[in-house]
Amino acid sequence: MANTAGAGNQPKPSSSVKLVLLGEAAVGKSSLVLRFVNNDFQENKEPTIGAAFLTQKCNLPNRTIKFEIWDTAGQERFASLAPMYYRNAQSALVVYDLTKPSSLTKAKHWVAELQRQASPGIVIALVGNKLDLTNPSSSTGDATSAISGEEDGAEGTGNVEEGDEADARKISTAEAKAYAEEESLLFFETSAKTGANVSEVFTAIANAIPETSLRGARGAASDAATQAALGGRRGDDSRVNLTGPRAEVGAKEGCAC
Amino acid sequence: MFNLSNLVQKAQNLIDSNLPSPTLGSDRRPSKAALFRHQFRLPDGENPLHEIPAELTFSPETNRGTSGREGKPKSVDRFNGVYFAGRLHLSESYLSFSTQGSSFLSTASTSSSSAFTGQTHGAGPAGNGFTLPLCAIRKVERSHSQSFIFALSITTWNGVKIEKAAEATDGSPKRIVETPKLTIQLAGSRQQCERFCDGLKKGLREGIKDVENLRLVSTNCYSEYLLSLEPKKSKDTAASESRATTPPDAGLGMVFRYPGDARKLRDGAKMRLWAEYMRESGRHYTLVRQPKVHKLIRVGLPNRLRGEIWELTSGSLYLRLKNPNAYTETLAKFSGQESLAIDEIEKDLNRSLPEYPGFQSEEGIGRLRRVLTAYSWTNPEVGYCQAMNIVVAALLIYMSETQAFSLLSVLCDRLLPGYYSTTMYGTLLDQRVFESLVEKTMPVLWDHLVKSDVQLSVVSLPWFLSLYINSMPLIFAFRVLDMFFLEGPKVLFQVGLAILRQNGEELLDATDDGTFISILKTYFARLDESAHPTSTNERLRNVTRFQELIVVAFKEFAGITQHTISEQRAKYKDAVLDNIENFAKRTSIRNLGPDSKRLSASDLSFLYDRFYGILYERQQRKQMIEQEAARRKKAGLTKANEVVSGIAGNPAVEMGRVGLGPSPTQMDYDAFREFLAGITKWAVTDSPSSPMRETTEKHSYFGSIRSQSIPLSPWGSSPEPADHEFMQRLFRKWDTDSTAALSLQNVVTGIAHVKGTRDIMATISYFFELYDDDDDGKVDREGILRISEALLFLGRRGLEPSTSGLLSPNQLQSPSGANSARENGDEQFLSGVSAFIRRCFEYADPDLKSEETGDRAATTASEDALNSFSIGDDDEEDDKDEGNLLDLNEGKTSMDGNAPSINTLGTETPATSIAPSTTTTNNHPHARSDRSTSANLALDPSKPLHITLPTFRMLVLADETLEHFFDSAFANSFHLSTSPHPATPSALSSSRLTTFANAAHSSSGSGSGTPPRASPVPSTAGAPPQGVPPGKGLRGMLDNIVTDGMRVAAEVKRRVDEAQRELDRAGQVPPHEEEEDDEGEGEGGERDRELLEGAEATAVDAGGKEKEGPAGQGQGRDGVQNLMDAPVTEEPRSAGLAVEGEGKGRERSASLETKKSMMFER
Repeated sequence: MANTAGAGNQPKPSSSVKLVLLGEAAVGKSSLVLRFVNNDFQENKEPTIGAAFLTQKCNLPNRTIKFEIWDTAGQERFASLAPMYYRNAQSALVVYDLTKPSSLTKAKHWVAELQRQASPGIVIALVGNKLDLTNPSSSTGDATSAISGEEDGAEGTGNVEEGDEADARKISTAEAKAYAEEESLLFFETSAKTGANVSEVFTAIANAIPETSLRGARGAASDAATQAALGGRRGDDSRVNLTGPRAEVGAKEGCAC
Repeated sequence: MFNLSNLVQKAQNLIDSNLPSPTLGSDRRPSKAALFRHQFRLPDGENPLHEIPAELTFSPETNRGTSGREGKPKSVDRFNGVYFAGRLHLSESYLSFSTQGSSFLSTASTSSSSAFTGQTHGAGPAGNGFTLPLCAIRKVERSHSQSFIFALSITTWNGVKIEKAAEATDGSPKRIVETPKLTIQLAGSRQQCERFCDGLKKGLREGIKDVENLRLVSTNCYSEYLLSLEPKKSKDTAASESRATTPPDAGLGMVFRYPGDARKLRDGAKMRLWAEYMRESGRHYTLVRQPKVHKLIRVGLPNRLRGEIWELTSGSLYLRLKNPNAYTETLAKFSGQESLAIDEIEKDLNRSLPEYPGFQSEEGIGRLRRVLTAYSWTNPEVGYCQAMNIVVAALLIYMSETQAFSLLSVLCDRLLPGYYSTTMYGTLLDQRVFESLVEKTMPVLWDHLVKSDVQLSVVSLPWFLSLYINSMPLIFAFRVLDMFFLEGPKVLFQVGLAILRQNGEELLDATDDGTFISILKTYFARLDESAHPTSTNERLRNVTRFQELIVVAFKEFAGITQHTISEQRAKYKDAVLDNIENFAKRTSIRNLGPDSKRLSASDLSFLYDRFYGILYERQQRKQMIEQEAARRKKAGLTKANEVVSGIAGNPAVEMGRVGLGPSPTQMDYDAFREFLAGITKWAVTDSPSSPMRETTEKHSYFGSIRSQSIPLSPWGSSPEPADHEFMQRLFRKWDTDSTAALSLQNVVTGIAHVKGTRDIMATISYFFELYDDDDDGKVDREGILRISEALLFLGRRGLEPSTSGLLSPNQLQSPSGANSARENGDEQFLSGVSAFIRRCFEYADPDLKSEETGDRAATTASEDALNSFSIGDDDEEDDKDEGNLLDLNEGKTSMDGNAPSINTLGTETPATSIAPSTTTTNNHPHARSDRSTSANLALDPSKPLHITLPTFRMLVLADETLEHFFDSAFANSFHLSTSPHPATPSALSSSRLTTFANAAHSSSGSGSGTPPRASPVPSTAGAPPQGVPPGKGLRGMLDNIVTDGMRVAAEVKRRVDEAQRELDRAGQVPPHEEEEDDEGEGEGGERDRELLEGAEATAVDAGGKEKEGPAGQGQGRDGVQNLMDAPVTEEPRSAGLAVEGEGKGRERSASLETKKSMMFER
């Protein structure tokens, strides 16, 4: 789904972005990363001890973002280690489990922590994972009438499993979305199992990273010049409207993964 | 391989002999018992009872056949057998011998162990020797060889079963599996030897009862089975059938295969070597450690013996001996119960070494679940931590559930203290230690890391936390574990350092975390490859990278000893704990909920510190008191784990610190009292039961140096808190979840309600609700008395000044000014309260008849409200305030339709008989009310009555000082971060109490022209300076007045007493009366005395007024009259009203009614 139209044949500027994943234990942080990095899914993934480190590139039309992903342990007692990992992070994925209300509470704590302690200007995405466990109609049905069309668009990209089983969703899209908007977070519901929406999350983050906060990747030639040139065009990146429609963004520009 | 390990050994020996003898920092010196236990891996409860230098002569099998059973001359054995010099230790149930000098003995010289090595310095069964449970000793004989040498010959139960079987089937002595015999020559004085032997005899007798346990455990040892195989091979007779048992459980590996290629690991050869060694030197409990055992462990353990040797070297085998059924009992005990830990475990069961076939089966998963669950029950403080699943899964490949369970206990409690705790302080601490070791040993690499901003612990933390199990390929991780269990945690550091060293070149090129990690990942993946693939030397080519790593770890980093680790841990412990605590604090404060927003960040921070500080210090004191008690019974009650690790020199002092793991988070009432005593003046008791210290100890919660001399009083060095009914009410009010304990959240919310809103109306309502027990909007007679009592209680040390209040900043700044101003304020407050009580009863509504009289009362009250509105205080601002406040009342009062006043019912009560008689002049000449008290129902017990919130509000607002109290003083009395703790000794001494007694005293003092309290009198430990007992209260005051020669007062007193007796008889306040004449120390008594109700309480006022005015008899008289004149403080206000100027009682009371009803109307 790489969309490299805007780049032509010229080597695109490349920069690294440090991204940290936070969230309650067993919400699927590592699985999201595994899906994003290897397009793979393991039913029984070993719990992350401390943190795991992975990288993946994300191609945007006019630049390449190399994600340095820090996937942290989710158990409560590992929380005190987190500052070690979100140090200098430019972006964060705060993950919760759609089927577990307590995980959203924990996610909110993480958001608060990041907003106060992490680097200023950190781009935070709130991600409800395990969409595959929910009934496709549930987000509109049980959750609420308040879902906008744009939200449905985002839902639609997720090829939700057709489940005969009962809907396990416990957190409505509207509730989480309202919170995300209040805190100016990117918001997605994903399934690491099916892959639904996963790359969109990372693409959206890549797009939301202000150009100014990008550090050049090692070996990227003429970084400064290129970025300066780009600066004029994408100068407004630093003021990305985080609450704006993101589903379109995700559909338009994709990751090379 | 063997050559290699020989090399390692030699190198190590060389280095070890050069090491300085271990000396531990005096500050955190572990206890001798702990070192002892750790050296021999003994369970808690073992203490070194006797020790003696000794020589161990050990006759291996080859020897034994020819030598006699006993009494072979030592000189011969010395050459034919194995000979070690060392020390023999006797503890409650173990006899231990080691050539390794014990770290705790100043006389222990390294020379005695120089021949053989081990560098664990009291942190593992290093050196050669044995650790024999006394119950494993079958026979001890004293040899008769040479009279001047005290020699013991020890026979053990080693392989007793097999021996019998062998004897039964085989007559040939050559093949009998015999027990090795140990001969020990004691090298002490004869007396020492005798004493030692006596102790041993006693221990042996005690040990008999453990024999059954020993048999139980040892039959399940794989070595027992292994050795039984040998005779079977040679004699395939009936004996083999009788022993055709299944081998004991040696882990999942027996079913699902052990990791690695057994052939490549040379498992068979290792097994044979071990069998040979154990035949010679004993098995499991009776194993004698000879130099060979260290080598055998270094080359890697054979699969099926791995579990048992781990148990033996870690000491968990000894733990099991104590209670062999602990595992099954624990499981049975908690069967069916649920916990958070179990939920967490369940999440991870399917993700623990998922590639290993055993953990893809229900069998393996089941074992893992049971072991983790059982441990979470035995140690709820740790519960379950991710990484434990991986470690336990690894253990279960090699050992049974029971074994894994006890080994996990040893791991968490001793080897990795704090690693898996809820704050993981052990992990973080060891990361810090590891970093410092890298800095020390590889400065270039360290500089590079710092320069590139690479955080080492990001890489190394998982190594330590999961013991390399999910970093290295399993077979290598297990090799590390082999050594780790023998030599202790330092192995983890040595291996870690070696890994960095081996990759040094490449790491120096890495400039970010990512590259750093991937270099090491690649390295781990290639551990089995040749370290020198291009070498022409074949042997060198065969050396794998792992072997090289181990050589580097133990050779190059041989200097890293347990001692080093302990030292470093001690060095960084405080910093690490502070970090954790700061993090916890930050997180905690952030999650306190919306009410916390009403307080400033520094206030929250202060409350957090104070809250946990109290809990921490209380726990600490409790511990110390308990320990003190325990010490009297028996010395040495310390925990080995903390001590040896250097985590805690004095475990008691460390308990409860937030950073160390689960600490109490709930405050009980006593803790709450202490908490309040720390932030308010009024919560400090007036009559300390223990001598109070002149200086309050510095708050040591976050300090790095902890005072060791905390007095053993239940309150430690902090001021003893009072116990007042008000505090109980406050506690209940804040305890919103009715758990009989307060969380930080409760406290913050509680304080936020009191302090966060600077709204007098809210504070008044708050106070009222505190006393409105049944939430019906009414406070009855009892409640009124309690309120008054609480006000007096809160105000007895003076009120907090407020910027707009009674005291000007100037006065505050100059001490003397502040003092005198304060006194004035205090007295005004007393008078305010007394007036309040009076008025309460005046305006109280009877519980009955309220309906009928409502209308009438409303009309009259409205007039009064008008009056009161215009009642003059010279202070215009106050007027305005009051006006506003009354306006504020509007809404609420109007809703309160049926809250009428009945004060004209005019039943004659004792009080009413007093009031008119004392109605004379006043400081304010206009104010008069001779009939106001006619409505006073206070002293008529037969009339149930109550006040409502509007009434209460009105009564509060009617008095300037009370108004001030509710406006700001009450909130200000909680000193948070913005103002320092007020409890300076002088402020706390009871001489500063604003009680009736002191008021009386001050009035008499001022009468003589010398303000006695102008300079604070240093504490006289609870007794007021002028002989008025603190509790004597009103009575004492009246006495004072009497001695001032006021006859009127005598009369008054009589009447008051009369009234009092009247009350007594009526039994309205019986519990108070009973205690009335207590000597005044008890809190209850004091409270009750203060409570001495409406009529009497007005006496305060006398004191106050008296002091203001010119000294002299006349003034005193005035005071007394005021005392009796109920609406004292009201008078000045009404006095300003021209219409009422004449002070006609009727008018006055009418006006008051009017005022009241007016409020209702609004």
